[in-house]
Amino acid sequence: MAKTLYLNLVTPQKQLLDSVAVESVVLPAAAGELGVLPGHLPMIVQLGYGSLRYKVNGKEEEFAVLGGLAEILREGVNVFAEGADLADEIDEEAEKQKIKRAKESLSRKDADIDFELAELEIKQAIARMKVKKHHLG
Amino acid sequence: MQSLRDIRQNIKAIRSTQQIMQTMKMISSARIRKAQQAMDNARPFAKKMLEMVSDLKQEVLAFPAPQEGEETWAGRFFVNKTGNPGKIGLIVITADKGLTGSFNAVILRAAVAFLKEHQDQEISVFCIGKKGRDFISRLRHKNIHIVYESVGIFPKVTYAHAELLGEAVMKEFFEKKLSSVTLIYNDFKSMGSQRLAQYEVLPFTLQSQTQKKDETEFLFEPGVKEIFRILVPRLMKADMYRVLLESQAANLAATMNAMDAASKNAGELADALGVTLNKVRQAGITNEILDIVNGAEALNS
Repeated sequence: MAKTLYLNLVTPQKQLLDSVAVESVVLPAAAGELGVLPGHLPMIVQLGYGSLRYKVNGKEEEFAVLGGLAEILREGVNVFAEGADLADEIDEEAEKQKIKRAKESLSRKDADIDFELAELEIKQAIARMKVKKHHLG
Repeated sequence: MQSLRDIRQNIKAIRSTQQIMQTMKMISSARIRKAQQAMDNARPFAKKMLEMVSDLKQEVLAFPAPQEGEETWAGRFFVNKTGNPGKIGLIVITADKGLTGSFNAVILRAAVAFLKEHQDQEISVFCIGKKGRDFISRLRHKNIHIVYESVGIFPKVTYAHAELLGEAVMKEFFEKKLSSVTLIYNDFKSMGSQRLAQYEVLPFTLQSQTQKKDETEFLFEPGVKEIFRILVPRLMKADMYRVLLESQAANLAATMNAMDAASKNAGELADALGVTLNKVRQAGITNEILDIVNGAEALNS
């Protein structure tokens, strides 16, 4: 059996990982984190907000994933994320600003504010910050 | 014969038009690089998504025969046995502006052919781009209804536009029980050429399996219905995003080529007028010389 899995990470806007050979992957499944090793049973999983981690040559890399789907095959994993950011590139200050702005627009009670969008933005920013903290700690 | 002044004015007008066309060409070629990149970035998602669905072919075909109710929501998008054959959908993607050679004309001709062929059926039309919207809204046929329109999105297409379009198409497809939805747009083939593309977006076509080699069945977490409930909209939106970006790049390429040809033609026209101008001026000078020579002769004799 092969010792590595291939890992593809795509979002509608961009392909972030293209057939990277990894030793293991941890997926942020909707029901909790899910570890995948080579030879895993074929499976389709719904993803929640959380961190996607994988190991290349013993080194761990981490992405913040914002929902989507993953297809697990015996030879590899295809991740279809709504959004994804490399943990190293997440800027906590910028995320805090985003939350602040979204909260401000929520507190103003104008009729034309998209509440769902503002709430979604807060949720995504919090998820990104969590992953960043986890990555640092 | 034209006067010198008229010809000079003509040449001036042509040259300034040519300059405008050259500028438009330059704007398009500057934008096309970005458009092409967006297109290349979006391709893997749509492609991989289709591959995954093809892997799921067995599961899709094993969906319970569609009956009323939620159970079969996803099945409808793949097999669709309960669609009403009298109702279909059509998505037409054109540009917002002209000056693109035959870009819009080719699409509208195909759209008219399609509408004629299906004139006995009720057709829900989705229009992207001002040209297509204006044209189809003038048709005024009792069976043609424009149910969705979106203008002014080029050349700044984002995923949000694709989401809106995808949602509108899925809603119409499901609620009105359409039997199929056809898409007509221009595919970006290369910088020099676009190709008219027409295919059925719904129900989804399943390709043969590509990645999964063994026959083991997939496990679904949390469950097969939930997975399809989130998979179907994503597949639809990814596909719409891809075609919007293709159209956008194709449109820019068409504008670039049309403007290039037009400014070349304008250059030739101006050059030809320049030759006429010289001839007229020369003729004028010759006449004046003749006058002077004749005058001198008359004095001498």
